[in-house]
Amino acid sequence: MTTHRPAPRPDVRLDDGALERVTCTTCAAGVEVRKSSWEQTSIQWHTDALGACPERRASSPGAGPNATFAGCTALGDAIREAAVRGSLSVQSGEALPANPEGTSH
Amino acid sequence: MTASRTVSRPSAEELVVFSGEDGKLNVLDAFCRHMGGNLSQGTIKGNEIACPFHDWRWGGDGKCKAIPYARRVPLRARTASWPTLEQDNLLFVWNDPQGNPPPEDVTIPVIEGATRDDWTDWVWYTTVIEGAQCREIVDNVVDMAHFFYVHYSFPTYFKNVFEGHTATQWQKGVGREDARPQASQSGVAKMIGNTSVAAYHGPSFMIDDLTYHYEDGDVDSVLINCHYPISENSFVLQYGIIVQKAEHLPDPEEMARKMGDFIKIGFEQDVTIWKSKARIDNPLLCEEDGPVYQLRRWYEQFYVDVDDVTEEMTERFEFEIDTTKPNEARRAEVAANIAARASS
Repeated sequence: MTTHRPAPRPDVRLDDGALERVTCTTCAAGVEVRKSSWEQTSIQWHTDALGACPERRASSPGAGPNATFAGCTALGDAIREAAVRGSLSVQSGEALPANPEGTSH
Repeated sequence: MTASRTVSRPSAEELVVFSGEDGKLNVLDAFCRHMGGNLSQGTIKGNEIACPFHDWRWGGDGKCKAIPYARRVPLRARTASWPTLEQDNLLFVWNDPQGNPPPEDVTIPVIEGATRDDWTDWVWYTTVIEGAQCREIVDNVVDMAHFFYVHYSFPTYFKNVFEGHTATQWQKGVGREDARPQASQSGVAKMIGNTSVAAYHGPSFMIDDLTYHYEDGDVDSVLINCHYPISENSFVLQYGIIVQKAEHLPDPEEMARKMGDFIKIGFEQDVTIWKSKARIDNPLLCEEDGPVYQLRRWYEQFYVDVDDVTEEMTERFEFEIDTTKPNEARRAEVAANIAARASS
């Protein structure tokens, strides 16, 4: 088949806010991150960061046919911290949601 | 099994699948290299398939083994053969346009339940989709919004990871009260939700490890969703289901069938959309949509020669949505946030 296949394009949403570099506070690996909201996180890893991640190295395959490394919790914490601190943009621009005053947490 | 049948594949080629006395499943070009007889109409003789036209005998390795009326078989009398893998009561055929054997690290993983006595047998469905490109079905792996509308499930947690040749989707969902098989499961407790880990192993074979949570316990199931293209605008879609025979589940076979019927409705709704939709290479996405561009970048690796696969196509990418977090957000975080902004 000799059909024309257009080359993969960059995500149109990056026009509104680009990926930002976040450094893991545990292993100092640098990844590219974008948060569209407090709930959403995108992480672009590169080979060097994946090689540096101790959680990745320590991970066991897990159970089931689709067993794979689900993600690094230390990096997740570092990203959340960066967003809370304000050094990582949250595209929605909303304030950090929290439990209402007086509820247990 | 000694029957043979024809399977169509891309470029309108046809394959014959047969097994001889040794029981091994073989896949060859369906058309005899001699004068074009269709081997799928032939007969099994020993470990070979005999052409219905002139009785030429072909082995599973693609070599012509005998011509009953000839003194000897011509040199280089070979036809195309495809490597096969029999696993979990399924037959896999390796198709590499560059003619290389399958690398070990892309082997489809074993599905434990498929060969266990305490799970049902496979229930399979096959349908030919005309007027749609198979990329449409792959896009589903990132399309969160359609779960609510098509699959009647409301995800509270969603994650995609693309890495190497796999694309994985984690999902925790709450069944919609208005439409779910739980409503028709008489004698079964109410369903609370489901947990799903689904992964494409390569471009076309998805294993969905799907657990339904009922008030009285879990029921594990595995759904296979796979396809192969016939042309640029048609493909064969197949899906199969096995269900764990959980003690609290009165009729697992019935559940497997019902799940199959339910999934069939979901796909039929997808197909209706696909048949009349346009091919969009640069979709206009909102922030709430999934990583369509990144999935397609991953998918592109299967449309180029192995040497042309770039890091960009295979490097790890994660996309996560966790709607449970806001309710657990600590007020301390807000205080820290305010403090950080005040000092900057």
